[in-house]
Amino acid sequence: MWVWFSKLGSPKWFYELSGKWLPWLIAAMVIFMTIGLVWGLLFLPPDYQQGFTSRILIVHVAVAGTSLAFFPLMFVAGTITLVWRMKLADMVAKNAAILGAWFSFITLATGSLWGSVMWGTWWEWTDSRLVSMLFQLFLLLGVISLRSALEDSDAAAKACALLSIVGCINVVIIKYSVEWWNTLHQVSSPVTMDVNSPNGPEFWIATLVMIVAVYLFLSVSLILSTRNEILERERKAQWVQNLVLKSQAS
Amino acid sequence: MLGAIQFSSFAEFVDMGGYGFNVWSVYALFAIFVAVNLILPLRKKQKIFRQLRRRMALDAEIQSEDDRNGE
Repeated sequence: MWVWFSKLGSPKWFYELSGKWLPWLIAAMVIFMTIGLVWGLLFLPPDYQQGFTSRILIVHVAVAGTSLAFFPLMFVAGTITLVWRMKLADMVAKNAAILGAWFSFITLATGSLWGSVMWGTWWEWTDSRLVSMLFQLFLLLGVISLRSALEDSDAAAKACALLSIVGCINVVIIKYSVEWWNTLHQVSSPVTMDVNSPNGPEFWIATLVMIVAVYLFLSVSLILSTRNEILERERKAQWVQNLVLKSQAS
Repeated sequence: MLGAIQFSSFAEFVDMGGYGFNVWSVYALFAIFVAVNLILPLRKKQKIFRQLRRRMALDAEIQSEDDRNGE
């Protein structure tokens, strides 16, 4: 276990292993994305109340749900960085903050595009779900600017780990906001294959396909940017120079 | 379970039951979001490799010059 753990922390080992995984992850991502998007745009029947705006929701729900994974991920990575001094975890945390900000922004934008026709408003300051998601976006932007201000120092890792605790508390608030405060945003429909529901099970299956697709996309994007980070930090290492030589030859 | 295609014409497909602007905006945003976050890191990797190649070539040149001067 410990051998495995310290091996995983080695950037070279991660670079080689992720290089083997990437083609499979990308293939799976393309398959799930294609199924999800074609199904969502062509085959999904209109909702019995919302008409075709329900097609917005399969994208919105997938991105929004996945966006909640970033702060827990950054908290775990931050803890590993601080406790075991693993540089790789810090690189993951750094890139996760940037991707997480993207996810939060797309969640808000797609939600707005749905709300503007179904709620009759683009934004509602009194809605706890909307405001807590906006808070997550600002928190992530805060983490990004803190990192660029403090560069790759220990202080940056510590400050970001601390902020990710706040972020994790906020994730819980986002998750339960629709149950704790009864405002505009609807509660999530239970994951049910109930054939008696007015819409049938298609919506949930399509949403699940999109959730898998979005998680695969998250992994691929995060691995790609972490690999770049490794190349930059290890550019003087022999194994990186060998890689460059090999790429020249081909 | 997989029903038929919901539209009988392309115009209907674009219209999305009157919600065309919102539905297509969401799918366009999503496509940009996915494309940007895959293309940017891929292009950055190429850039890093280019820089490393240049630096290594430069190092090799300096090395060979030093060798010549050493003689």
